[in-house]
Amino acid sequence: MGDFLSYLGRNYADIFSYTIEHIQLLGVSLTLAILIGVPLGIYLTTNEQLAATVLQAASIILTIPSIALFGVMIPILSLVGQGIGFLPAVIALILYSQLPIIRNTYTAINNVDPNIRDAANGLGMTTMQRLLKVEIPNGMPLIMAGIRTATVLSIGIGAIAAFIGSGGLGVLIDMGISRGNQNMIIAGALAISILAIAADFGLKKIQMKFSPKEIQ
Amino acid sequence: MIEFTNVSKTYPGGVKAIDDISLSIGHGEFVVLLGPSGCGKTTLLRMVNQLEELTEGEIAVEGSSIHDLNKIDMRRNIGYVIQSNGLFPNMTIEDNVMVVPAMLGWSKEKKKERFEYLMNLIGMPPETYRKNFPHELSGGQQQRIGVARALAADPPVMLMDEPFGALDPIIRARIQEEFLDIQRTLKKTILFVSHDIDEAIKLADRIVLLKDGKLQQFDRPEELLNRPANEFVSEFVGEDSVLKSLSLYQVQDMKAKLTLPEASDGLDGTVFKHGDSLRYVLSHLLHPTPKPVYFERQEGGLAGPISVAHIEAFVREMTA
Ligand SMILES: Nc1ncnc2c1ncn2[C@@H]1O[C@H](COP(=O)(O)OP(=O)(O)OP(=O)(O)O)[C@@H](O)[C@H]1O
Ligand SMILES: [Mg+2]
Repeated sequence: MGDFLSYLGRNYADIFSYTIEHIQLLGVSLTLAILIGVPLGIYLTTNEQLAATVLQAASIILTIPSIALFGVMIPILSLVGQGIGFLPAVIALILYSQLPIIRNTYTAINNVDPNIRDAANGLGMTTMQRLLKVEIPNGMPLIMAGIRTATVLSIGIGAIAAFIGSGGLGVLIDMGISRGNQNMIIAGALAISILAIAADFGLKKIQMKFSPKEIQ
Repeated sequence: MIEFTNVSKTYPGGVKAIDDISLSIGHGEFVVLLGPSGCGKTTLLRMVNQLEELTEGEIAVEGSSIHDLNKIDMRRNIGYVIQSNGLFPNMTIEDNVMVVPAMLGWSKEKKKERFEYLMNLIGMPPETYRKNFPHELSGGQQQRIGVARALAADPPVMLMDEPFGALDPIIRARIQEEFLDIQRTLKKTILFVSHDIDEAIKLADRIVLLKDGKLQQFDRPEELLNRPANEFVSEFVGEDSVLKSLSLYQVQDMKAKLTLPEASDGLDGTVFKHGDSLRYVLSHLLHPTPKPVYFERQEGGLAGPISVAHIEAFVREMTA
């Protein structure tokens, strides 16, 4: 224990910078994942057949082991000179995030009380006004829940992406294993857990803030 | 004002919800769509603001066929109250009520003024409820807000689908009264769905009675009660149709129909005014210890004493 603490004392600056890298990786991939997944989820509510197909595909992606996915991407992305590093990690995280984000958005919009949707139409809202003023705000808790799931999932998978040179907290674990340094592994794992818990907590706060009071 | 011409509606499953209905509804008229569950009331109502498409026929509002109107614009111009009130849970009461004015781009001051006017109209102090959310209100208050929201942009036409449906009888009766008062000042053209004959009698200028999507009778309430067009209508209005109809007639109607005796001594008895309902008069006459009943006369003095026989004679006149 004392050993671990003194390790932390000596290396906190490194640990901190790996954490920042990790957060950057997550920030970029989650932002893109939301920008893709939320509109797609909304669009799917207007197309039942496509919805079934896309949700099926997203489920399958989630079952692919991350190492295998990285392996598949290396030759493909090597064509543009990006076989390893930040880009394949971002792509993988976006893919893994799609299922919770799309599915929750789709369910959230579909579950909006039909009477409320009917009132919105009857009062003369356009489709876009109905989405922005009624459906998305009322679906917000579920949509945010999907984003939270995707975030926690990405924090874990992001650590594995260190194997293909994405940087981040995975590097600590990776190096710890190859050097047989217990403290490094524990520090990496601990930092990842704290990050996941903090992210989940923060997003939950945001979720509460944006939820209609009745739905909370 | 609203003109239905040979309107029919068949749903995709093959259910013929509306079968060849033609109606002409005048300006400022309060028309109640009445009939048993599943007879097509909601469908007929929703075809007016194009929430349901017509299969056949035509509907015109203020002279223009609804097909020629822009859907979004026409809906903003027609007040719509749905059965379950359909308030938006994510918006405050003020935002709910001001949804249509906001879409129409009204100024902040105009919206504020209108909100305050409407809240006072429905008897809910604007400052108390402005920042509340719908779930913080009672069912009756929510339905009133639903009505205020439909009135917000002062539309000439209102479509109301059982707006007072989920209320207990006492609150319901009060809101009906309040709404009649509002209607007397605003003079909207109203299509109002109900499955309650008493509500229809109380509110309607004319009643549309439907069965299986077909029009049974389109008439004033007293006509429906006293001269039912067919077997179904007389069954629907019920065995007590005569009693019900008495609430539609007033002392002045009876004075106009019958020659009533001049009262010699009218001092010890109950005096009814022109506008009093004959139902109250009858109730007085049937009281176990009745006092003599007199009617006020236009020229001064009193008519009476009135007896049950007079009421009988009047009812015979009206149903003849
Ligand atoms: N979207 C729909 N698809 C298929 N059939 C429908 C649809 N909506 C209504 N119907 C059918 O059309 C008929 C009329 O329905 P409608 O809702 O107009 O009745 P209603 O008179 O309003 O009944 P209630 O008093 O129960 O509200 C019913 O037989 C109903 O089952
Ligand atoms: Mg209905």
